[in-house]
Amino acid sequence: MAVCIAVIAKENYPLYIRSVPTENELKFHYTVHTSLDVVDEKISAMGKALVDQRELYLGLLYPTEDYKVYGYVTNSKVKFVMVVDSSNTALRDNEIRSMFRKLHNSYTDIMCNPFYNPGDRIQSRAFDNMVNSMMMQVC
Amino acid sequence: MSRQGGRGTESKKMNSELFTLTYGALVTQLCKDYENDEDVNKQLDKMGYNIGVRLIEDFLARSNVGRCHDFRETADVIAKIAFKMYLGITPSITNWSPGGDEFSLILENNPLVDFVELPDNHSTLIYSNLLCGVLRGALEMVQMAVDVKFVQDTLKGDSVTEIRMKFIRRIEDNLPAGEE
Repeated sequence: MAVCIAVIAKENYPLYIRSVPTENELKFHYTVHTSLDVVDEKISAMGKALVDQRELYLGLLYPTEDYKVYGYVTNSKVKFVMVVDSSNTALRDNEIRSMFRKLHNSYTDIMCNPFYNPGDRIQSRAFDNMVNSMMMQVC
Repeated sequence: MSRQGGRGTESKKMNSELFTLTYGALVTQLCKDYENDEDVNKQLDKMGYNIGVRLIEDFLARSNVGRCHDFRETADVIAKIAFKMYLGITPSITNWSPGGDEFSLILENNPLVDFVELPDNHSTLIYSNLLCGVLRGALEMVQMAVDVKFVQDTLKGDSVTEIRMKFIRRIEDNLPAGEE
């Protein structure tokens, strides 16, 4: 269960960012913003030689004392960043990967919507529902 | 080596996503050009009509159905043969009016609207209006004047897509003036 999910465009501005609980939103925005540096570092570290073998899933970007941040980059340089609670140790790598895969699938569905212009903020009900299902339930 | 015959009889497979994306691009371009949902609906209907008057020839040639004796037969042919042939879906026929001249086609899934979400500023847009035009045009070429419209639409939040078809009259061939 994620605490914050963000979709960042190729030019590094946010297309979609949602966090729960909704107070302290600014802290999550800041975390996602700083994680972009780590993402860029990982992409460039792969180097030009390995571009074919570069995996989309980047893995753990960096841990803080409360949270862990995971990243995923598509071939069109759209980044997905996910912040999860550190106390939730039951989350395995496989689960994170499958969550990113679901995000990626929903993102491609949105791209296929003829009314969506690439580069706009994402305002799709289907995407919201899918993200809600992945967020932590807060009573 | 004997040649396999009948290139015309084998169906040419095309990716349905390309079809859906093409239709989507068409509708959004119309929206940008006309800026008014009513005009876009009218244009889609006109385009559909032009497609329908040509498509009917292809349909009759490929499906070999004979003349329909009444409107119920027409409804069956449309739902079970025509929709299946061109869109790969089989709608169900319901809601016959007592006079037998009006019925509804219920489509559970409409391949034209995969991935589409209507934005709020286009709430009166009838996205699949092309289908209405096609049905109207095709039936006009077989001497039936019908009125076709959408009653329910999954894009607007309904559970199914429902098209209502009403038989208006049989079209008699007009004799040119001056001829007995």
